[in-house]
Amino acid sequence: MDITKLEDFLDDSGVVFLSYGGMLTQELISNMTEALEKETEKNNIGISASTNLFTIFVELSQNMMNYSKCKNVCEEEFDPKGLVLVGYNKDDNSYYVLSRNIINAVDKDKILPKLEEIQSMGRDEVKKKYRELRRSGLDKHNKGAGIGFLEISKRCDNIDFTFKKINENKYQFMFQANIFNKQK
Amino acid sequence: MENLTIEETKYTPSINLNVENGLIELVGKSYPENTFEFYQPMIEWVENYFDGNDQPKTIINFEIIYFNSSSSKLFFDFFDLIEESQNKGKSIKINWIYDEDNESAMEAGEDFIEDFEKLDLSLVKK
Repeated sequence: MDITKLEDFLDDSGVVFLSYGGMLTQELISNMTEALEKETEKNNIGISASTNLFTIFVELSQNMMNYSKCKNVCEEEFDPKGLVLVGYNKDDNSYYVLSRNIINAVDKDKILPKLEEIQSMGRDEVKKKYRELRRSGLDKHNKGAGIGFLEISKRCDNIDFTFKKINENKYQFMFQANIFNKQK
Repeated sequence: MENLTIEETKYTPSINLNVENGLIELVGKSYPENTFEFYQPMIEWVENYFDGNDQPKTIINFEIIYFNSSSSKLFFDFFDLIEESQNKGKSIKINWIYDEDNESAMEAGEDFIEDFEKLDLSLVKK
């Protein structure tokens, strides 16, 4: 293994840090969030942009953590291999949080229309929908309020996602949120 | 009724519930692994407090730097509970405390103010 090559690649891609493979735990997520706090402090990222970055990172990581825990219990052949990374794009002074994990077809069919709807909405519509669902608790489940993707959308400049088919029942779900650092 | 104190952790706020001072105070970050479980003791305490207490006034200080979406829902339900207590005649003042440069925290406070028009909820810059 040529570790230098990996380091060069990570540096070139502006990767601040990443977690790949193993199961995410709450402890790991909070340690990574702390590292992220130090990173934004070092780079003088404004408090608003950093708060949004932390929230999005936590939201996506906890999503993956909860999903893999649940699926481990429910489905024997589930592959927990997930990726979450935070990167910095020098060219436009933006941060991005990217997550990728394997989900089943049933969940893909649940998530996809929600994300498409969010992507088609303007900022004010996202906020309105977020507050409606928070009030009604309609999408509430045992791990959360079902408003995570709206929370993320409220706090970033744009989102991007893909579902890549692995087989009839499995998809690779990639999600990215971009946050511009508006502070001069 | 006993006071309740929960120490701050890396991902949960310090919680200080004080009967004598009529004080409910949350300070820190909020992204527990099991949000509803984590806040259950606080919710129970607050329910009992408003059931039995005859404090002239209760002050609630909310100073949450950032929080996940399940905490957001929990806070909403918490304010709902507070509104119910107020409807039963309790006098309650809520301060949503935020760092003055933290627009996201301010916006979160503004949303709660709009959602709970009857509550005496004010934004307080640090």
